[in-house]
Amino acid sequence: MSFLGLSILGSALDAYQQAADVTSNDIANVNTPGASRQSVNFQEATPIVGSPGYDTLSGVGTQGTGVVVQSITRIHQDSYDGLFRGASSAQNYFTVEQQQLQSVQSAFGEPNNGVSAAFTALQTAISQLASNPTEVSDQQGVITAAQSFAGTLNSVGSAVQSAQASVVQQAGSTVNQINGLLDQIASLNGQIRAATAVGENPNTYEDERDNDIDTLSQYVNVQTSVQANGSALVSVNGRALVNDTQAYHLAAPVVTTNASGTPTLVVGFANDPNPASPATIDAGSGELGGYLDLYNTKLASYGQQLNSFAASAADAIDRVSTAGYDQNGNPGAALFVPAAPGTPITATNISVGITSPTELPTALASTAAGDLTVALNAANDTVSTTAAVLGNATLAHPAAASGGSTAGTLTVTVDGAAQSFAYDFGAGGNADTIDDFIDNFNAAQLGVTASYDATAQQIVFARDPTNVSAAHLAAQGANPTTPSFTISDSNAPAGGSQGTPSSSLLEVLGAAGIDGVPQDATNAVGASDNAGTNALLSVFSSQVGIPAVQTAASNATAVGPGTVTVGAATAGAFANVTVGQTLTIDAGTANAENVTVTAVNQSAGTITFDATKAHAAGFSVSAVPSQTLSAYYGTLVAQLGNDTSTATTGASSQSSLASSINSARQSVDGINVDEETQNLIQYQSSYQAAAQTMNVLDQLLQATLAMIPS
Amino acid sequence: MRIATSTIYAQQTQAIDEQSALYAQLGAQLSSGKKLTQPSDDPAQIAQDLQLHTTISTETQQSTNVQGAVSQLTSTDSALSSLTSVIQSARQLAVQGASDTLSASQRSALADQVDQLLQQAIAIGNTQYDGQYVFGGSATNATAPVQAQGSPVSAVTFTGNEQSQGQLVYNGQDFPLSTTLQAAFNYDASDGSPDVFQTLIALRDTLQNGTVADESSSAMNQAGAVIYGAPSGAGAPASTTLSASGVFATKPVPDSSGNFTITINGSVNGVQSVQTITVPATAAIDDGVPPPAGTSLVAKINAVSAQTGVTATFDAKTQRVTLAGTGSFSVTDTPSPGATDSGNLTSVLNLTNQADTVQTVSTQIGDIDTVLNATLSARSTIGARIQTLGGISDQLQTDVTDNTNVESSIEDTDVASATTQFTATQTALEAAYATTNRLEGKTLLDYLTNA
Repeated sequence: MSFLGLSILGSALDAYQQAADVTSNDIANVNTPGASRQSVNFQEATPIVGSPGYDTLSGVGTQGTGVVVQSITRIHQDSYDGLFRGASSAQNYFTVEQQQLQSVQSAFGEPNNGVSAAFTALQTAISQLASNPTEVSDQQGVITAAQSFAGTLNSVGSAVQSAQASVVQQAGSTVNQINGLLDQIASLNGQIRAATAVGENPNTYEDERDNDIDTLSQYVNVQTSVQANGSALVSVNGRALVNDTQAYHLAAPVVTTNASGTPTLVVGFANDPNPASPATIDAGSGELGGYLDLYNTKLASYGQQLNSFAASAADAIDRVSTAGYDQNGNPGAALFVPAAPGTPITATNISVGITSPTELPTALASTAAGDLTVALNAANDTVSTTAAVLGNATLAHPAAASGGSTAGTLTVTVDGAAQSFAYDFGAGGNADTIDDFIDNFNAAQLGVTASYDATAQQIVFARDPTNVSAAHLAAQGANPTTPSFTISDSNAPAGGSQGTPSSSLLEVLGAAGIDGVPQDATNAVGASDNAGTNALLSVFSSQVGIPAVQTAASNATAVGPGTVTVGAATAGAFANVTVGQTLTIDAGTANAENVTVTAVNQSAGTITFDATKAHAAGFSVSAVPSQTLSAYYGTLVAQLGNDTSTATTGASSQSSLASSINSARQSVDGINVDEETQNLIQYQSSYQAAAQTMNVLDQLLQATLAMIPS
Repeated sequence: MRIATSTIYAQQTQAIDEQSALYAQLGAQLSSGKKLTQPSDDPAQIAQDLQLHTTISTETQQSTNVQGAVSQLTSTDSALSSLTSVIQSARQLAVQGASDTLSASQRSALADQVDQLLQQAIAIGNTQYDGQYVFGGSATNATAPVQAQGSPVSAVTFTGNEQSQGQLVYNGQDFPLSTTLQAAFNYDASDGSPDVFQTLIALRDTLQNGTVADESSSAMNQAGAVIYGAPSGAGAPASTTLSASGVFATKPVPDSSGNFTITINGSVNGVQSVQTITVPATAAIDDGVPPPAGTSLVAKINAVSAQTGVTATFDAKTQRVTLAGTGSFSVTDTPSPGATDSGNLTSVLNLTNQADTVQTVSTQIGDIDTVLNATLSARSTIGARIQTLGGISDQLQTDVTDNTNVESSIEDTDVASATTQFTATQTALEAAYATTNRLEGKTLLDYLTNA
């Protein structure tokens, strides 16, 4: 009889006590984020080994000495961590995008209360005015609608800007949280390394560190690798954030200007030598990635397109309103002006320049008013506009007889730019009949349109600000749009008639002896005219070049073919040009071509494209009219809707993905109360068995002791 | 498979969140009736939806504009209809007047009726629609643009212009909203034909006054010879006298007294006057000396122009003596007192044969037909425009209906399918609640007896 049994049972009581403690810890941490379940590994205690020649109590062999707790293992599978963190980064990336875009989207107010509705209301108000040109309430209606349009653009533009400001602020607070986590991870690295060095199990520290990295992955997409010494190397796109016990703090986000002159939100390290324009890190996904993408891609693009829309709409409308005459016979004023005079119009910098209903454009200059033109016909004859001009006896001023000169040039001067129209009324020429002349003259898009009034038998030249070529816009440059125009004929003798036959087309057309057809306010017809209003209305249905480029670009020397970089005459002329946009070069000339923009440098004011033809110095660059204003805006709204929808769907699907990865991870390392309870029951039973056995041993010992006579 | 206890709760929470979100979304769709309330609801359709919004409100406004235009054109049409009646009535009166059997007083009565028609025509010329004179052109007229001059009306002035009062633009087509005085009244016609007012004034005067004298019709000189007027300076040829020979195309033959005598029957402001003028054969055609001192033919005629309204001028370039009167007038050869035969001065001057009332009125019926055609042509243009606009108005309303249907299919909730989905989501959500309730607190610990 020995006390060995008691000692064996004592080891069992100790072991099960410790196992129950571990189970209790698990149950206690069932809801603790990052807690992995721990299990107890039992091992038989070192046996007493019998030696040959010495009898032991049990004879030859080994005698077990009980049970010991060999280790407490943290059950954790690292491979799930990376998957979960990736999904979590993506989920948070989409979530912040969704939150911001939802708020921007509701600021846009589409489809019922936004810019589109205000723009349509303006169109409707102008249409109403066109129907009742003298109705003061309808005139006021146009002004009110214009104010509402400008106001809506202002508020939507401000909403985009304040969303950008809010993104910068939130990105800043995210960086603060990231820096806090980096410090914690670095400190835990130290504790884990110390514990590992002395062979301890740093289970709890590892749980804590994994949980911190999980949290960090919500903010930024990090990669982690655990080093041999137990410390974790945390990095983002190859840049270390935590190495051993060293945390590399991020600097607060700053807005810099990128190579193409666009404001860009970037994040660098706190110790960067150039904090205003630091070496940037690519946050990938996560909240920080979401904020950077929102600022640099989404909101910047919305803001730019909104500004383009505002500028192009104002430009197209103002072109008409300044080309007309108002009710008082004064040259028209711009309907939309920048809120800050002298600056370019943007969504937040647009206001209505016309406050008095009498200043709205009503009439356009036309030779039909006044007495500048006379009937084409010879007395008691009716002119045939389809018959050849040469030898046409129905004309009061017959053309030069066959064999004489039939070619000449009309010079149309409008908007401070003179343009030529070469004519030839000989057989097969572009003006061989009056109808042909009208068609070809109008197709030249000179800002003045010709028509034939069959009742008065007059040719009528009228100002048409919407019928202008890109070449004209380029030639106009910074000159203001003018209502008046003049037409002169290279063949007309100054101030007099050639008599008949005449080689001057203007004279043949009835403008007898007039070498210029100047138009001023006195030629504009009265207030009940609606030519100006109708021209304004046509802006809404016509295709415009967006973003509008209306500045002549010039190089000192002839350029092309090949890669061409041109500087604009004025700074910021290419503010609305984007890479990939199609532009027309040298519009209206033999070498005209469409090119694709390959680079834009806003700060230097240059654009680059590949030309296939040679271009002389001073060539024009203009946007290709491609779509209507409302279609352009519709595309912007569709893009916003698409981005929001993608973010919403992404947030939802990444959330499902993260949660199913988490379920899988939890199925390995998560704590299940039932399982722990079973373990507890098992340990309790084992403990009870050991205790009961000890009781039996005690009785045996008592019996043995009783044999000793007292 | 092991399930961590916290996973069970997390899964339940997520399921309930998802179902609740869908439930709320479907509820909002059903209660608002709209499934597209923000761009992200349907990014693929939002651009089209915005375009439809624009199209519908534009077309609705256009439809209103077209109806306004039809109303404006209809008022013009009814003015032209009245004008047609006026001209047709005038034509009937002219046909009546072109009869030899009528007495002067009967013709005068007809003239009074024509004068009434003239007043009506002037009133029609000043027709207003919505404060605008429909024939006044684009100028803003504070006063009526058609103003009668003199009493009885001898002329009509027009202060408007020939510009259209704006145009309705639809799909690139222009529809002028008015016609012009030129088109409707043949005013200031490019072929020189008289307008409605001139035609009516002439008809009235013809009926009132009987005859109308035309001015001299062609040159008086013989081929190769020149008739000289007032000497232009020293050494210039002297004025040609009526006795000159070999100069006139028709040789002047004085009456038996050796004089040329004519009677001028004209009127000034409706006061008729007959004046006889005698010039000797030695008198010049025009020596440049004005009346009363002048003795030339031109001076003698002009000496009585205060009574006759007839003035004479000699045009050396065209070799004509032009007679012009403020009203109708006639010139006849008359023997001078005591003479037995008449001179042939009217022939020398190439005054056309005097038409009588019947002939003149018959000629004027032709003028009436010309202006009637102009008016009918203007009316048919307006009528065609009204018809086209009516068609456009119908088309616009159909378009608005169609587009509203398309917009509805994009924006509006499909109630049947949304209701079904709503019910299904409700069931799923209730199941999720029930399951969560059952799961709560169910662990092995519940079954351990503590007794």
